[in-house]
Amino acid sequence: MNCNQFTHATTRRDMLRTCACGFGHVALAAMAGHRIALASDRMPHPFAAKMPQLRPRAKRIVFLFMWGGPSHLDLFDPKVRLHQRSGQPLSGQDVGRGHGKLGTLLGSSFQFSQHGRSGVWISELFPHLARHADRLCVVRSVHTEGQAHGEALLRLHTGQANLVRPSVGAWVSYGLGCESDNLPAFVTISPPRGHGGMQNYGSAFLPAIHQGTAIGSAEIPIAKAEIPHLVNARLHSSLQRTQLDLVQSLNRKHLRDSGIDPGIEGLIASHELAFRMQSTVPEILTLDNEPQAMLDLYGVGSEPTDNFARQCLLARKFVERGVRYIQVSTDYTWDHHQKVEKGHIAESAKVDRPIAGLLEDLEQRGLLEDTLVLWGGEFGRTAIADNGDGRGHHPQAFTMWMAGGGVQGGMTYGATDDFGYYPVEHPVHMHDLHATLLFSLGLDHERLTYRHAGRDFRLTDVYGNVVHEIFA
Amino acid sequence: MVRSEHLTGFSHSCRPCFIATCLAGALTVLLPCDAIEPASEVGVALLANDNRRKAAAVDPADPIAGRVHWAFQPLLDREPEGESGWCRSPIDGYVLSRLQAAKLGPAPDADPRVLVRRIYFQLIGLPPSPGQVQRFVRDPSPNAMESLVDRLLGSPQFGERWGRHWLDVARYADSNGLDENYLFREAWRYRNWVIGALNADLPFDRFLLEQIAGDLLPFASIEQRDRQRIAAGFMVLGPKVVLGNGRKKQRMEIADEQIDTIGRAVLGLTLGCARCHDHKFDPVPTEDYYALAGIMTSTRVMRKVGAQRFMEQFVGLGPRGDELDRAYEKYWTELPRIKAEKSRAQSALEFLREGKEDDLARLLESHPDALSADAKEATRTAEERIEIQEAHLAKLAAVIANQPKIYPRAMIPSDGDSPSDECVRQAGQFDRKGETVPRGFLRVVSRGPFEGIPDGTSGRRELGRWLTDVERGAGRLTARVLANRIWHQLIGCGLVRTVDNFGRTGEPPSHPELLDYLARELIGSGWSIKTMVRRIVLSRTFAMSSEHNESAHAIDPENRLLWRAHRRRLEPEALRDAMLAAAGQLDLTSMKSSVWYLGDRATEAGDNKNRRRTDFPCRSVYLPVIRNDLPDIFQAFDYADPHATTGARPRTTAATQALFLQNAEQVMAWADATARRFCGGDRDGDEEWRVRRLFEQVLGCPPTEDESAQFLGFVRRTRDLLAKEGETKPGIRAWSIACHAMFSLSRFQFLD
Repeated sequence: MNCNQFTHATTRRDMLRTCACGFGHVALAAMAGHRIALASDRMPHPFAAKMPQLRPRAKRIVFLFMWGGPSHLDLFDPKVRLHQRSGQPLSGQDVGRGHGKLGTLLGSSFQFSQHGRSGVWISELFPHLARHADRLCVVRSVHTEGQAHGEALLRLHTGQANLVRPSVGAWVSYGLGCESDNLPAFVTISPPRGHGGMQNYGSAFLPAIHQGTAIGSAEIPIAKAEIPHLVNARLHSSLQRTQLDLVQSLNRKHLRDSGIDPGIEGLIASHELAFRMQSTVPEILTLDNEPQAMLDLYGVGSEPTDNFARQCLLARKFVERGVRYIQVSTDYTWDHHQKVEKGHIAESAKVDRPIAGLLEDLEQRGLLEDTLVLWGGEFGRTAIADNGDGRGHHPQAFTMWMAGGGVQGGMTYGATDDFGYYPVEHPVHMHDLHATLLFSLGLDHERLTYRHAGRDFRLTDVYGNVVHEIFA
Repeated sequence: MVRSEHLTGFSHSCRPCFIATCLAGALTVLLPCDAIEPASEVGVALLANDNRRKAAAVDPADPIAGRVHWAFQPLLDREPEGESGWCRSPIDGYVLSRLQAAKLGPAPDADPRVLVRRIYFQLIGLPPSPGQVQRFVRDPSPNAMESLVDRLLGSPQFGERWGRHWLDVARYADSNGLDENYLFREAWRYRNWVIGALNADLPFDRFLLEQIAGDLLPFASIEQRDRQRIAAGFMVLGPKVVLGNGRKKQRMEIADEQIDTIGRAVLGLTLGCARCHDHKFDPVPTEDYYALAGIMTSTRVMRKVGAQRFMEQFVGLGPRGDELDRAYEKYWTELPRIKAEKSRAQSALEFLREGKEDDLARLLESHPDALSADAKEATRTAEERIEIQEAHLAKLAAVIANQPKIYPRAMIPSDGDSPSDECVRQAGQFDRKGETVPRGFLRVVSRGPFEGIPDGTSGRRELGRWLTDVERGAGRLTARVLANRIWHQLIGCGLVRTVDNFGRTGEPPSHPELLDYLARELIGSGWSIKTMVRRIVLSRTFAMSSEHNESAHAIDPENRLLWRAHRRRLEPEALRDAMLAAAGQLDLTSMKSSVWYLGDRATEAGDNKNRRRTDFPCRSVYLPVIRNDLPDIFQAFDYADPHATTGARPRTTAATQALFLQNAEQVMAWADATARRFCGGDRDGDEEWRVRRLFEQVLGCPPTEDESAQFLGFVRRTRDLLAKEGETKPGIRAWSIACHAMFSLSRFQFLD
């Protein structure tokens, strides 16, 4: 309902009690765009941890997002015929799409080989990741809509492009609540500012508390990321405290004069929280206390891995603290319409070691078994050349992989045709992927609904089939 | 956590929507329609199937049977029963009778200082100056209220406050949002047109007609033509998927966005639901949806630019507008061709210089224009040919460099080349065509035959008239929705709290007779918004105190019956403007574009230098509204999401808000300026006097003795501390820190 009248006036203590996780919890949620609901005592706090609907395989998800669209044909989906026919024309007949010439085939310049006991195919661009082959479930038959980045990003993150819808992480936050005492349920590290921007981690009509908390943005090195207004550049802490004491004293007087008013009470509480957060939040964001071996494992401090390594390490800290959905994004660097070979060498080198480090670290801490790690871009790339030595956008078929969180390691699921053009076996639509992600967390995508504007909404709209086969 | 609904309930394709909604759909028919809980937080869909709905006695989408719903009924005309000396207007009578029936009474009148602050913020969005407060408080005339209200209604700041309310509903923005956040460089003209229209009290029926069909209306002058064209920008402002979208698919998506916006903004109906199937709750069958869709798809708002992109249509303004705009467009459409020509001319020149006649010949074979005609003449010497080609190249470079200025222009819809009826799209998918439906309007709120849509026109003009046609069209519903919006803004909560949803899933009105009284008055006044605002503000209901009452609270905790005034948080615009006003820095001049420095894309900046600016000292209504990148203060303090109609903004209290007020550099700079302003002057030594002025400016009332002492104690202690720490100007710094504290006070942030 719209008016958000602060019903059932409560005392401050009552309000603390009804906010199931207590204020320390809400503090950080509030930090980056989340708001404290002044819940009446009839209503559970929206952020309270909730029971999943099904047996959960994972407790949380880490999504490693490769912005721009990495080439499945150069990384995870080797194509012998494409290689053989490189330089020759591809006609529509070859892939069952009309008769005209589609373009000139461009074979991959990279060597593929099988890795681990399971023999998962991985190209030479991901040598560190290849050591974790037996942990990966490589899904080669993902497909989506959106020939341009913006539409594809929105579909990947929210399931829809032409309407503003909650993002996957917001649904997870809504469905499961927060496991942590002092952090939001959904954190996005270095999110894109373009191609839908905030909408890709927004809560749309879900309560704003479920919106993703952004740490920095894609074009800023994570080491320089700041959370706005978290620090007072002028006043030292004790002076700020006395200033706040004056504020709170006058506000409490206003409250006394007004009788009961949860609005004023909330305001008083919010100022107190804000003050506390100024010291607690920066501690979480710093990597100063990590041992050197850990920094080395991820590649912090060396190039070209430093930035993505920091992002991945930060993701692990959030994993440890019980955040439910953590996204890590590259900058908009995977869109190689020209020189796909050179570009993919450079981009893979930035992320390979950090990703391997993250898997290793999670495994060592015993966290991988209940953390689902997902890797992928908004679409794949074409088998036909773009500008001679590049590849175009290809939402019709591409590869994403998962690890941990109850999925089968060392598995390759689904297949594409000889040119990686269309899925030919077990196609997995974006809606299916979303249904599967929710399923891994114990959420039934058909039952996780929210009533808005007179009807129930869900992440997968009226679509989506869980890919049960990939779970162990 | 409660948040206002601000997005449409529609999915681009629905299998019988949701099982749960189907069951609920059946229930709405079997039960009194308002018994359905409108919003449940815990969303676990019930299991049932679509057959339940069919089993219901009446089809909920039946546009004739559906007229029984209260919102579609004729306006009630019942005298208020509550009568007493308390009442100043019929409004008070309706309110009092409900209170008395619940054994409640109205709160006492608000203190004049509280009231004057409330009136200023509600009417013009600005705090009264201490002098203005004094004048009102000391005015002994019985007409003090009336003359104040009339003065504020006549001030240009009224439109800046009330225009913004409409801009929330009109999903106004300066950029596209969605997939590619292209800048709407000219949208500000529409924003300023809205502000001007509210100031001129343009009757709402005309206000609406110009927004829906301004480009089609006759005009007596170029100025009028341009105003109407700018108004019609309303049809163009929605967010759209602009890259890689198919033309036909996009056209249907845009139509849906327009129908949804008009439905919710004007009619309080979620029409989008009927795109895929008959509406589950409201009497809107799919045919009625596509009758409207035909009007929208017969309207063009986009044009194709380049291979992939669509962008909004523009029209030039002013007497030579069309011509100048054509020249501008011609430059940009021809630019790629000229650039290519220049690049070939460059190659040709190099071949000439290097004497590569074979290469040159090959180039000329495929592109004869690579070499200028004179340079082709073999009789000339090589030097001459080079010289001629260099001149040719320079000419091309000059054409490219001569970028025409952007002339004033507006985003505008136009009727398409061959307006035609639309066919039903099965399950909402644009490529699954069903039967063709003649263009028309919603049957549930129509009486008698539709006004025919003339051949060769889209029907927007007729739609615009139908929306406010009280006799035959949707006028009465429109009046109810509008009156409720005005009430919502002034009183703090709508009589119908679901202000954008008057359908069966919305809430029923708390005071049906009052709502209908207001709707009748609105129509009777010739759709004058100012008259309606005046009527409500001068009621005794508006003037009540917001003080708490334990026994009333026990009976009506949500204050639905209005036993007191709702205490309200200032919106971010009012909050910012009030801080600027305290600092003495608010510039009341109206502003044109605040996004001129942005590039084609509003957010996709490699770094911050290209980001929207918020450092203008203008009123907040003029700040950039970039979808997905709102100014920080808007983002923190519950501004409307500009992607869709937002009749009621969410109202939350969050630590982000406190962090903003405590730490934002801008807020501290305003505090500095406030301190400089109130620490100067002749009576510099009198610190009590300073505190008093500060309180009067920021809070609208003087401090109590205790407050003053406490405040001064803080200033003195802080000054001593800063002096000890080596601060060079501890006095003014201490005052600044104290002023900064004022902005965090609940009495500043709330309207009592």
